Amino acid sequence: MSHSPTLEFVLGLAMHRQIRSPWQKFKQLKRGYFSLLILAGLIVLSCFAELIFNSKALLVSYQDELYWPIFSDSIEGKQFGLDYEYETNYRQLKKTWQMDSSNHNNFVILPLVPFNPTEVDLLDGLYPPHAPSIENQHYLGTDTIGRDVLVRLVYGFRIAIFFAITLLIVEYLVGVFIGCFMGFLGGAFDLFFQRIIEVWSNIPFLYIVMIMSSLITPGFWSLVLIMALFGWMSMTWYMRSASYKEANRDYVLAAKMMGASNFRIIYKHIIPNSISTIITFIPFSVAGGITALTALDFLSFGLPAPAPSWGELLKQGVDNLDYPWIISSVVISLSFVLMLVTFIGEAIREIFDPKHKVYYE
Amino acid sequence: MLGYILRRLLLVIPTFIGITIVVFTLTRMVPGGPIERMMTAYQMANQQQSSHHSIAGNTLSEDQLQQLKQYYGFDKPIIESYFEWLGKLIDFDLGQSTRYYEPVWDTIKERLPISIFYGVCTLIITYLIAIPLGIYKALKHGEAEDFATSIIVFLGYAIPNYIVAIALLYTFSFHFELFPMGGFSSDDFDYLPWQDQVWDILEHATLPLIAYISGSFAVMTFMVKNALLDNLSAQYVQTAISKGMTFKQAVFRHALRNSLIPLATHFGNNISVILMGSFLIETIFNIDGFGLLGYESLIERDYPVVMGILVISALLTLIGNILSDICVALADPRIRFGASNA
Repeated sequence: MSHSPTLEFVLGLAMHRQIRSPWQKFKQLKRGYFSLLILAGLIVLSCFAELIFNSKALLVSYQDELYWPIFSDSIEGKQFGLDYEYETNYRQLKKTWQMDSSNHNNFVILPLVPFNPTEVDLLDGLYPPHAPSIENQHYLGTDTIGRDVLVRLVYGFRIAIFFAITLLIVEYLVGVFIGCFMGFLGGAFDLFFQRIIEVWSNIPFLYIVMIMSSLITPGFWSLVLIMALFGWMSMTWYMRSASYKEANRDYVLAAKMMGASNFRIIYKHIIPNSISTIITFIPFSVAGGITALTALDFLSFGLPAPAPSWGELLKQGVDNLDYPWIISSVVISLSFVLMLVTFIGEAIREIFDPKHKVYYE
Repeated sequence: MLGYILRRLLLVIPTFIGITIVVFTLTRMVPGGPIERMMTAYQMANQQQSSHHSIAGNTLSEDQLQQLKQYYGFDKPIIESYFEWLGKLIDFDLGQSTRYYEPVWDTIKERLPISIFYGVCTLIITYLIAIPLGIYKALKHGEAEDFATSIIVFLGYAIPNYIVAIALLYTFSFHFELFPMGGFSSDDFDYLPWQDQVWDILEHATLPLIAYISGSFAVMTFMVKNALLDNLSAQYVQTAISKGMTFKQAVFRHALRNSLIPLATHFGNNISVILMGSFLIETIFNIDGFGLLGYESLIERDYPVVMGILVISALLTLIGNILSDICVALADPRIRFGASNA
């Protein structure tokens, strides 16, 4: 077999493209890559938040028996020789045993930050909010009713990021599905949804959420649904134009002639060919989801209290500028996370960008 | 061209009806509308007045209730009262505010100058920053100047404007006490000589304006930069240069004009931003504009005002979309009117 030089060149290019997969290209964009590592680390860490930020003890050893309070149901104070029947206060227990000189083999191992997100810590004789202090183990201080800011930030992050991801999945599923059919089928179906999208995207989204949340008390899932109801349009629009373009390509026509069903063409050809567009949008949707949830919580129309949330902390911070640790910790962490997400987004956009800009001077 | 514009304007009508009917229906479904709110207010006033009296007799009579419902048009089915509302709208009657007990239009009119001031300033300053910065960044693409300015642009892009607003408020108003804590003007505004009045408004406007601009200039700058880069690498610029134009001439006479087209498509979106401002920034800085009015009306369930604001914002957005298309056609002679707008 002999190839012409041009064909060899083309094959070479194709080989080259295959070897440098998107992931490898992404790894070379250090800023985006490290942002992804840090963000992934934070998400994994937040999944194990109960082991690090918890008022329950990791391990209690009492009378030569081991207890794992985090992994078991609540353990009464009586169990550890205390005089109450409600859940043990492990911070107190630790202090008591430390002070007690006759105590030799009983011990408590507390998590790194021994508070849970909804717990009010009233330090003796002091009114909250408490300023950050290492001694009290409130590393970022407490909010206005005495809940630990760091712990609420961590649990709030977990809610926000998973909220954004869930919202994204719902929006994209709807958007890709409807958008593909719009672009591919065209005709009345397309026109009908065009009108709907025009109406829908002109309805002020915050109004609807605010009116809806006076109808029902929003929870995680209902808020995802309400927000997805008003957020599916942009993905739909992109997929519509992407599949509209693909639908007129020769390979789609060939597939059609071979008797492939519409669903098969969309699933096997159109979606794989527009996957790069979809992936490019993901980080920006995540940032949008986090921002929107925080804004809603800030206006107190988001997740109901006492759910730990960044928006609620932000609100507290703005209302109480005298306690700068509240506002600064939430503004800094929010900006940091959004920066990470945007760095990732920029990197992804770069690897899928077919244009390499060159110009003459 | 006229025919095209007319056709687009006619299409506004069904879309407008669609938008308003959705929100109208929702406001009707909500329990605790203005009547319930007034009843509780009435009850509380009664209880405070005569706490030693019996509870009975504190609620409104069935008759009064019926009258109230009739007054606000709650006695009819949703569709019927929607068309009644629409009919009034044609006479420019937006109804009565259930909170201020005055015509909705008067309430809105009061806030209008404030929102227009912020909107127009934001728009102008955004363009004044984004276009030159975008050109500069494109010409210095990949050089130190490009990276240095990218940091600011990136910050503006990644951080939502209300977070910027909060950070500014804390740093400059609260901590350094350089700017007032919010509001549109000082309390003694009316007694100041005019120079001080101008100064007063500028002092109050600085931080909110920075917050507004931080949200919008980043996207525009990127847009100008990317469009200009695309055009600079196009062959017609190469041709222009090889025909003896200087690089500068080629940029400003050919490439730039084509690069402003995406900005023109964006112009229409800005129209609605002019008036709607931002819920969040107005609440944070306590600016008595449209956004704050909308927020308060939603909280107080003052739905006539909510609908009034919706009417204005929807009309502005829809007209803004048409304006965008006209701007695009003016900037780009290749685009013809009447082609399918799908």
